[in-house]
Amino acid sequence: MKFHKPLFAKIPAVCALLFLALPALAAKQTGWVLEKSTLTYHVVHPLHHVEGVSHAARGKAVCSNGECSFLIAVPVKSFASGDTNRDLHMLQITRGAQFPMVVVRTQVPEAALKSSTIHANLVIQFAGHTADFKQVPFHLTTHGDHMRVKGNIPATLTDFKIPAPELLFVPIKNQIPVSVNMIWREVK
Amino acid sequence: MNGKSTKLVGVLATLAVWLLTVAPLGAQSRGATLSGTVTGAGSAVAHAMVTVESLITGESKTTETDAAGRYTVPDLAPGKYRVSVSAAGFNKQTVTVTLSAGLTHTENFQLASALSLQSLGFSKSQTQSNSKEQALLNKRSHMLQIHQKLGLITAIPMIATLVAATQAGGRHGSPTGRDVHMALGAATAGLYWATAYYAIFAPRVPGVKTRGPIRFHEAMAWIHGPGMILTPILGILAEQQRNKGKRVHGMAKYHGLVAIITASAFGLALVSVSKPGWIPGLEHHVAALFPFHHRDILNAARRSQASKAGGATAEGRK
Repeated sequence: MKFHKPLFAKIPAVCALLFLALPALAAKQTGWVLEKSTLTYHVVHPLHHVEGVSHAARGKAVCSNGECSFLIAVPVKSFASGDTNRDLHMLQITRGAQFPMVVVRTQVPEAALKSSTIHANLVIQFAGHTADFKQVPFHLTTHGDHMRVKGNIPATLTDFKIPAPELLFVPIKNQIPVSVNMIWREVK
Repeated sequence: MNGKSTKLVGVLATLAVWLLTVAPLGAQSRGATLSGTVTGAGSAVAHAMVTVESLITGESKTTETDAAGRYTVPDLAPGKYRVSVSAAGFNKQTVTVTLSAGLTHTENFQLASALSLQSLGFSKSQTQSNSKEQALLNKRSHMLQIHQKLGLITAIPMIATLVAATQAGGRHGSPTGRDVHMALGAATAGLYWATAYYAIFAPRVPGVKTRGPIRFHEAMAWIHGPGMILTPILGILAEQQRNKGKRVHGMAKYHGLVAIITASAFGLALVSVSKPGWIPGLEHHVAALFPFHHRDILNAARRSQASKAGGATAEGRK
């Protein structure tokens, strides 16, 4: 029993430590903050291939009970295609003044964030409508407490009931995929 | 140290910790009670941590809300306390309360979700709907769509007028050719000014700097606009000189040249917004026309080239 004595002597101290630390541990909340982002929408017309880019997205994730809830939002106005006229038309047709934000919500298991690919179910609010995108694949690369997320959201105009804009009497294609390139930082 | 004494030390240590942390708070004979509910996102928040810290002694007590979001902290000494509530997915909330001996103080908390647009740092003006601006955008787009369609329609009689000009003047000219040319010219002018009306009177969006090919399109209007005034005037002068049996002379002899320059500027204006790539180095021409904004335009051109070359890259927030 000689070997058990020091261990036994430490039990009350360990209990006391746990007793003191428990509330602090319970209140602890981990999460992620979006540090940098490039969101690019692609529009295809027989005469054009237009890309609108925004770096103005902001995002946050809160993780608890093994689930991380993500919220990402970007002002519709912040997308720039290099042509003011086109951007204003995009803003008008997507009702960007009435619904100024594109809001993306998703829930991902905390453990999945450690893998190289995740399939996320996205709920996107845009142009006054909400659309669900199931199992959208994203590639994850982790460097320390930073995580790069890359992927494509296969959005279409009909998902958000946006009338197709026309140029020279020819409408653009229904597909408006959005490329996502984001860097998140873990917050403990 | 034998087994008995080790046990004794353990019991004493636990007792000491209890005495130091819990006993002073609970030792009040006529203590106050703090209770309440914690809600968030429209429902009760279970397992929220409620911490009560005395502002006099610095001692604190922590409890957890039940399934209905209720909490109770009994046996508190009268005085001022800082009460903070934290829960996963919600922003921490802290209030200061004053407790009186023997009384129960109710303090309810409504926690804001940690995941809201406000929590992301967007201002109210950024997230608020602006129906007035939307109405302005709608009117602007509507007018510019008409402008675009009329512009395309105008191009048809304009080309026809130029073609008919070969039968209006010179050695092959005939009175009928001149009549057809004049009629087409008049139709072109009418459609042109209707097209211009929808561009000139389309409402401007305040605070928006014009960028991209539209600047070239607008710049061309400074050529084809005056051209569309001058061309008919010179045409009428030429017609009058010819009717008097004279050779077309003076300013009137430039009617054809002015008409070609006008039509070319109009054509370039059309192409610049329809397919900018058709005009090589368009961005650089625009930059030369508008030196004050050349950096914006060149940056847009570089961005467009870079995106074609490599796709999206994280360049950081502007």
